[in-house]
Amino acid sequence: MDILLILLLLPFGYFAQRAYDPSPGITRSRTEARNLDCVRTSQADAHERFPGLVPAPAARGTLSQVDAVTCSRRIMSYGERPAQDEVILSSLRQSVGTLTQAAAAIAGENVRWHVDAFYPSQPVAAKISVAARMDLAERGHRVSDRVPVLAAGDIAVLGALPPREAYPLACKRYFAEHSLSDGDAFLALMIVDAQETQLHAGLCLAGTWRWLR
Amino acid sequence: MRRAWLGLLLLTLPAWAADPSLADEQQAQVEALRGEVAGQIQLQAFDLLDELVHGWTQQPPFPLDTAVVLAEVSVPVGFGSGLQALVENHFAALAINNPRTRVKLVHCPQCTASVVHSGARGTIIARGVDQPEALARAGALTASRHALFLDFEAEGASLVLRTRITSLEPALPIVYARTLSTSTSSAALLRSGERLKSAAEARQEYLEALQGRGTFVVPLRLGVRTYASGDGTVRVPPFLWLQLGAEAALSQARAWTASFSVGASWAPQLHTGLLVQTRISRLLSGSVASLTHPDVYAYVGGSIISISGQSALLFRDRVPDLQDVLAGTQGTAPRTTFGAIQVGLEVRVKNRIAAGAYLESMPTMNNAPALGTYLDTGILQFQSVGAEVSFCF
Repeated sequence: MDILLILLLLPFGYFAQRAYDPSPGITRSRTEARNLDCVRTSQADAHERFPGLVPAPAARGTLSQVDAVTCSRRIMSYGERPAQDEVILSSLRQSVGTLTQAAAAIAGENVRWHVDAFYPSQPVAAKISVAARMDLAERGHRVSDRVPVLAAGDIAVLGALPPREAYPLACKRYFAEHSLSDGDAFLALMIVDAQETQLHAGLCLAGTWRWLR
Repeated sequence: MRRAWLGLLLLTLPAWAADPSLADEQQAQVEALRGEVAGQIQLQAFDLLDELVHGWTQQPPFPLDTAVVLAEVSVPVGFGSGLQALVENHFAALAINNPRTRVKLVHCPQCTASVVHSGARGTIIARGVDQPEALARAGALTASRHALFLDFEAEGASLVLRTRITSLEPALPIVYARTLSTSTSSAALLRSGERLKSAAEARQEYLEALQGRGTFVVPLRLGVRTYASGDGTVRVPPFLWLQLGAEAALSQARAWTASFSVGASWAPQLHTGLLVQTRISRLLSGSVASLTHPDVYAYVGGSIISISGQSALLFRDRVPDLQDVLAGTQGTAPRTTFGAIQVGLEVRVKNRIAAGAYLESMPTMNNAPALGTYLDTGILQFQSVGAEVSFCF
C-alpha cells in the first residue's frame, strides 16, 4: 500500500513541470495551446520583461545558452470572431504600418492625407482606417479625419465594376467632384477578394490611382 | 471487457443527449469565460487609459485649458456597450481627477448624434463631429472645438489603444495622435486614478516589491508532534515545540529556501526538550513566490532532538520499568538524544504566515516499543506526525 502511494506521488514532479509547458499534452489541450502567442527570447530579455519570474543571467555567463519562451494567451480566442476578421485584426499594426510606409514614400511630405477602408464588416473597416490614420499621424504627416465622399450615382456605377476598375475610376471621380484637391492624398485599404485575409492598398494622388499591394 | 464498456457507453449516451441542462451549462461556461475575458480586457484598458492620462499630465496636448468632447469610445470588435460604458466612465474620472492634463471634458449631444445637413452638393447624414459645418450653423460649437476618439482593439495577445484628437473645423485635421499597447501576459498596473504613475515608476515599485522580500527572514514556529503508539502499554504524549531560526532564499524567486532553527519544548514534570533543525524547501505552486497568492512548499529536514525528563524513557528500546521511574524522581533525570528526518508541506501567505504538516522519521527509534509507525515506506518508518504554524519576521 505504501509503495503504491509512493508510485502515485512520483509523477507529481512531472506534472508540476508540465504545467509551464505551452505545448499540448496532458495538462493543456490543443485548443488552449493554439490560443497562446509564444515568443522565444534570451534569458536577459525575459528577465527584463518578467523580473519576478525569470532570474537574471549569471554575471560571469554560463556554459550553456538558456532561452526563455514567453507565452501570452490571446485576448480573443480563435473561433470567437469570424476567422477573416481575426486574421486581419491580429496583424493590424504590422500590415497597416507596412502599407502606410509605402504610401508615404510615394506621396511625399506636403500632402494632406485622407484614409478610408473597404471591408465587408463595417466595424472592422473602421478599425483598419483608424489604424492607418493614426499610423500616418504618428509619423508626422498631416492627416484629416474627413473621408471623401462620392455622389450616389457614382457609387451605383462603381458598385457594378470589378475592383481593379472601380478604384481607379473612383479616384478620378473624387477629383472631378472636388472631394479631393491637388494637395490631398487618399489612401484606400481593402480586400479585393471576399475570401482573402491580406490587406491591399491603393493611393489616389492628383487623380491618378496607384496600387501599393 | 471492451464490449462491455462500449455497451455501457451506448446505454448512457441517450441520457446525455436528453439532458436539457447541458446546453444551459455550456451557456453558463461561455458566459463565465466571456466575463473572465472582459474582466482582463477591462483592467488592461484602464491601464492604458491611466498611461495616456499620465502622459498628458506630464506633457499636456494643449497649452491652455481646452474644452474637448469625447466623441467616440470604440471597444474591440466582439465586445458591446457594457465595456464601452466602463471605459468612458473611467476616462471621465481620470480627466476630472487630473486637471493638469488641460483637457476639459464637455457635453455636446449634437456632436455625437446623427446630423442631417442639406447643401448645394446634396444631403448628408453623419455624426455631428464628422460635419463641423453643420454643427457650426446649429451653434453647437460654442463650447468645444475639439473631439476626442478612443479606439481599443485586441490584436493577438495585446490590447491596443489608439487615441486621436480632431480639430472641429471643415478639414477635420488630427491634431493629436498616440498609440499605446500592452500585453496580457503582464499584469495590469492597477494604478490609483488620483495618483497616477508612469509605467516606469510602476515597474520600479514592482521591482522594489520583489527585492523587498529580502534574502533572509526569521521564522518563529509553533508546532506539535504526536507519536504513533507502539505495543499499547505506554504512549508518548504529544510534544509542543517553539522554534526560532533564520531562513535564506537560495534564489531570487524564492523557489528554493533553506532554514536553520533551534527549538525548545517543556511539559511540567514530564520533559524538557531541545532541538536543532535544518530544512531545504522547494516551491511547488509556481516558479516564483507570489506576492498575492499563497505559496506551497515541500521540504525535507533533519534535526537532532535531545529530551530530558520522564518522557525521555519512552524513546528507548525497552519499556521503562519502576527502577527507571524511581531514578528519575531521585534527581538523575533520564536523557536521550536522537536524530530525525522530516518530510512535509507548508502553505505560506505573502512570506509572512505559514501553516504546515510533516511526517517525521527517527531511524534510531525503529525498535522503541513505545513508538509505533504511521507510515512505513520500507526505507524509512515515520513514527511521528507534526503540524506547525509559522510567523516570519
